[in-house]
Amino acid sequence: MSMPLHSLQLIDVTKSFDSTIVIRGVNLEILTGERHAVIGPNGAGKSTLFNLVSGMFPPSSGEIRLRGRSITGLPPHRINRGGLARSFQITNIFHRMSVFENLRVGVMARHRVRYGLFRPVARMHRINDETREILALVRLDGRADHMAGDLTYSEQRALEIGMTLTTGADVILLDEPTAGMSREETARAVELIRDVTKGKTLLIVEHDMSVVFSLCDRVSVLVYGQILATDTPERISANREVQQAYLGEEAAL
Amino acid sequence: MRTPLLIVVVLALLTGVPPFLGLGLQNTFINVLIACLFALAFNLLVGQAGLLSFGHAAYYGVGAFTTLHLMQAVEHGFAFPTPLLPLAGAAAGLVVGVVAGFFATIRSGVYFALVTLAIAELLHSLAPHWQGVFGGEAGLSSMRMPWAGFTFGSTLQVYYLTLAWVALSIWVLWAYTRTPFGRLTLALRDNEQRVRFLGYDAHATKVIVFAISATFSGIAGALQAIANETANYSLFSAHVSAQVVLQTFVGGSTVFFGPALGAAVFTVFADQISDLTRSWQLYQGEIFVLVVLFAPTGIGGIVEHHLRHWRQLDWSRLAAPYALGGFGGALVAAAAVFLTETLSVLFGEPYALMRKKAGDGYPSFDLFGIHWAPTNPVTWSVPLVLFLAGVFLLLRARREIAALWDAIRSAPASQTADDEVDASLQSTQHSPV
Amino acid sequence: MEFAIVSALNGVIYGLLLFMVSAGLTLIFGMMGVLNFAHASFYMLGAYAAYAVSSRVNFWVGLLIAPLVVGVVGMLVERFLLRRVHTFGHAHQLLLTFGLALIFEELIKLFFGDFPVNYRMPENLRFAAFTVFGTDYPFYRMFIGAVAVIMFIALYVLLARTRIGIVVRAAERLPNMAEALGHDVPLVFTSVFGAGAALAGLAGAVAGAFFPTNPNMALDMAIIVFVVVVVGGLGSLKGSLVASVMIGLFSSFAVGIDWSLATLCDLVGLGAWARSVGGLLTMTISSISGTIPFLLMLIVLLVRPAGLMGERN
Repeated sequence: MSMPLHSLQLIDVTKSFDSTIVIRGVNLEILTGERHAVIGPNGAGKSTLFNLVSGMFPPSSGEIRLRGRSITGLPPHRINRGGLARSFQITNIFHRMSVFENLRVGVMARHRVRYGLFRPVARMHRINDETREILALVRLDGRADHMAGDLTYSEQRALEIGMTLTTGADVILLDEPTAGMSREETARAVELIRDVTKGKTLLIVEHDMSVVFSLCDRVSVLVYGQILATDTPERISANREVQQAYLGEEAAL
Repeated sequence: MRTPLLIVVVLALLTGVPPFLGLGLQNTFINVLIACLFALAFNLLVGQAGLLSFGHAAYYGVGAFTTLHLMQAVEHGFAFPTPLLPLAGAAAGLVVGVVAGFFATIRSGVYFALVTLAIAELLHSLAPHWQGVFGGEAGLSSMRMPWAGFTFGSTLQVYYLTLAWVALSIWVLWAYTRTPFGRLTLALRDNEQRVRFLGYDAHATKVIVFAISATFSGIAGALQAIANETANYSLFSAHVSAQVVLQTFVGGSTVFFGPALGAAVFTVFADQISDLTRSWQLYQGEIFVLVVLFAPTGIGGIVEHHLRHWRQLDWSRLAAPYALGGFGGALVAAAAVFLTETLSVLFGEPYALMRKKAGDGYPSFDLFGIHWAPTNPVTWSVPLVLFLAGVFLLLRARREIAALWDAIRSAPASQTADDEVDASLQSTQHSPV
Repeated sequence: MEFAIVSALNGVIYGLLLFMVSAGLTLIFGMMGVLNFAHASFYMLGAYAAYAVSSRVNFWVGLLIAPLVVGVVGMLVERFLLRRVHTFGHAHQLLLTFGLALIFEELIKLFFGDFPVNYRMPENLRFAAFTVFGTDYPFYRMFIGAVAVIMFIALYVLLARTRIGIVVRAAERLPNMAEALGHDVPLVFTSVFGAGAALAGLAGAVAGAFFPTNPNMALDMAIIVFVVVVVGGLGSLKGSLVASVMIGLFSSFAVGIDWSLATLCDLVGLGAWARSVGGLLTMTISSISGTIPFLLMLIVLLVRPAGLMGERN
């Protein structure tokens, strides 16, 4: 079975909360295997977009397709099983479980061991091995038995990304993964993201243009709930309209 | 391996001692075992899944009634082994648990608690009117039928049957925490939203946890039906649901055996103290509130905390403040008991009669073997002095204990925790509900 | 017809009574995110306080003093107990108020005994308001309804039109902001909690003279009130009102309806068979009228999971 050209499509998607229209007709097509950034001023609706795609709430109108199949209005767990996983802007881990267990929960889901009631999980070697692989991938092997709540901020962000990978999704949504990080931490995070999304489709919300430049193939600019432009990072940064929209916002442009 | 040894010792005691006890104590043991199972089943929902149910009597009750129906059938010739009777309770708990769980887990948090309460009340208000299923207001009765040479007539035999089922059930509940689903339940309690985004149907998961909890609650109810040979609608009352909540949190919901501890303590407490005073439920409520305010992890949590830091504890320095605190607490308790019992006498019917006879005056009364005069300030100064002294000692002790624990916590972070203790005592992490 | 009118009146008034109690509960939840399990205990305390005062002084003085006493108790509970467990999370607040409800019930039993007390309305209120098809309709029932309506109006005016109301609503929406603007938000919380308690106390004082006053009244009222807020949505006053009246009406009408599933079977000629089967088929709606609110709740949960007025988080 061949991979479709577009992994993710948003078709005329709108979203309003009561009388406030947050997303006003967004059309977006993410190519399979590409790394695509969504940038925009604060309040443009970037997180709302992610929430719509990942199923946190349904769009008010329009359609969302994952690999050609409609996922509009589906609950998060169905969308995830369809092959899409997202991370959260505010770290959304299991604070009171160990790092290892945090990752294992997702791996269990991937192996369809959702309601496994009859064997101790300690004996499920494939799951435990795979968890250790991801642990190594996000460079948290040294912290496997520590409680997730005790990790440093950037370690938690790494765990956050790790958890997003555990379900084996090939469309990954990362919501401001480098928020709050220093220069060195950001550089390391970019390395990590590049590694773990090899061969996958990545949609990333970012404020840091250096990250966008070093990581992404294409960029879409979201302003007041609409896509202003979609292009390569170089052409976007030279785009007059985009510069105007960002006036006073991003110094990194 | 410390904990398995402890378990073997406890089991040995539970098996070997009862033949030498009187009937009354044997009955108490049976009640304690049943309460322990019920509390542990309840804690599956609370401590593991973070779902606070205030109506667990519903599943306990249906377990009891279903078992009684089966017992009646056996009485009339249906061939079913008596020792397997609790299976009926399990089945009933499972079925009702799935249905009730489906409704209750539609909404979360506070709503969940309210819906569980309402479901129990639904049964409580329906049962007295439903003669066929619940025996109306009088309830159902039956007799334990003999099987394979055992008559099940003696309390001791009933005790061993109860012990076997409770031990088996607890082992299953323990094994549950080790399964993938058990770990998932913990994650669900920690962060339900994330669980959804990792591909799990949270509602279905909650219904399953609920059903498992209800199944074991049904077994507990079944054991009660077998022991008492009777059941009526009062098994669905809010009081029964309340008891299991009290027991679980006094014992501690964050440690696996905590609820069993609380169940044992409160069952014995109810058993012994209810003969001595009418206000024993008030005392239970006060103990519960004090635990919620000052020791949210319960007795089990405190014990676990000490075991975890065992190697760092310097008992030569801790013993004195602990004793002081214990004594202070005893004084406060004495004050509370004195005041409560005095008020109980003064506001009771017999005293009202005494007053009439004394021409509406305030005659003296007897309490704790001493004669007290209500108009004498000494009578009221006794609880006051006890209370103040107790509080003073408690505050002193608290300061010293807090200082000592601060020193322990800031000690170099060597892995002093006994890992086996950690793993086997805890199925959940450290924070209270 | 007479049955319909009387039931409707009884239902609306009972619903208004439920609303008096659930309004405080829902307000406190909306403001502080705390579900006060002991809220109905304030209802009971109000009834008993009114009984204690009215048996020594006067019914009307009792009506006045009871809510004040209960309000003070409420403020003390919030200030010294609830605030302590605030940091432990919502579950602990729920557990604490649950324990308090138990303690209140036992304290009442301690001071007043296990059996109902003779709290009755004064003689001069014991007349008929009007006659419906030959049956006298008691004035006191109308009185209960009137108190509820006055309370609702006063609450609405207070919250929507006065400065105090604005501060309360601000503290509810954005407590930190309100505090930054110089308002003593903890005091607001304590006051609202006390006011909610006082409302419940007033309801108890008024209703206790008509309905039985016994140590069980807190539990009985609590359960119905919880159903009201599940159906109507916590935090929504409108929802509470609608749900209260709905439940009041349903319960009221159910008491007088002697239909059962067997009655239904009569329509297709299977009545005799149904009656011979007995059990569930012959259970009349009137005999299970106490169960009606719960069935209603289950139906609402299936059909509109977010409650009638939507869930407020």
